[in-house]
Amino acid sequence: MSVGGQTQTKPETTRWICVPCGFIYDPEEGDPDSGIGPGTPFEDIPDDWMCPICGATKADFRELEPGEFRRTEDAES
Amino acid sequence: MITGYGHFVQLAESLQWDETDIVYSADREAWPQLTKSENAKVLGLIAGFVIAETSVSGQLGSYQAAASRDDAMEAVFRAQARDEARHARFFDLVSAEVACVPGANPAARRDALRAHVSTEFVDLFEERLPATAQRLAEDHEGLTAAVGLYHMVIEGVVLLAGQHAMLDALEGLSVGLPGLRKGMELVLRDERWHIGFGSRIVQSAAIGRDEADALLEQGETAAKVWGDLITTDAIETAVRQHRRRLKAAGIKFW
Repeated sequence: MSVGGQTQTKPETTRWICVPCGFIYDPEEGDPDSGIGPGTPFEDIPDDWMCPICGATKADFRELEPGEFRRTEDAES
Repeated sequence: MITGYGHFVQLAESLQWDETDIVYSADREAWPQLTKSENAKVLGLIAGFVIAETSVSGQLGSYQAAASRDDAMEAVFRAQARDEARHARFFDLVSAEVACVPGANPAARRDALRAHVSTEFVDLFEERLPATAQRLAEDHEGLTAAVGLYHMVIEGVVLLAGQHAMLDALEGLSVGLPGLRKGMELVLRDERWHIGFGSRIVQSAAIGRDEADALLEQGETAAKVWGDLITTDAIETAVRQHRRRLKAAGIKFW
């Protein structure tokens, strides 16, 4: 996107990683299988939600730092 | 989406534990006080873990060799092999020192324990898994399918269901087995990253419809190998989680 001659990049949404298994919760995708629709921030997920990979709880997740895990490059490494 | 392989190596390094550091004295005193049904349940689950962990720790070398073209992946298999060997030692230690299973060595105790699990269970771990590992040793291209059986079905369905069943059983016992509980919690902690690692490999592979269907079917069949040792509800939960895990790993069902 270009505004006023300057390129604007869409701010990266905050993603969360399940520390025990490495699953990354991406708010843009949500977790539709568990009724968590796309666009749902991690903070708004019910407390009894569990990691779809390992079954860990929300408390086992931590926030990813911006750029800590790039969607395409790291996923292919 | 699952994180990169580096996460698992770092995680594994931070989660190391030693089965001989766990104190089993209270367990040894409590074991003779278990009721007959409690004894049958806990000993049956221990038997399953002894057989399963011994088998998986013995087969992982084929997986590591098949991953040798990818240093990062191979390093994770190496870390997992260290965990699986520890798990096998832990369950053998419990069977020998707490449950007083007869036998002068792990192989002899394992022989004594086979009678406590179903023939399907023994077949899965002592026939099918070694056969898969042998095929992988001969053809490294079969790594994804082998991981599908090992990590997604055996670890994600069979062992995870058994671990939850054991923790539930320990919670309801008339006496406490704190050493066994402590070790089970640590094993479960390790298994979570093993399953994440397997999901990461599957995520990277192009899984077709036939393979996806086979993985689902294998999971549904494997969930039942514990027989009466785990409840019908636990089996259904394990199958439901299996399907959800496969989808989260990027496998599409039609």
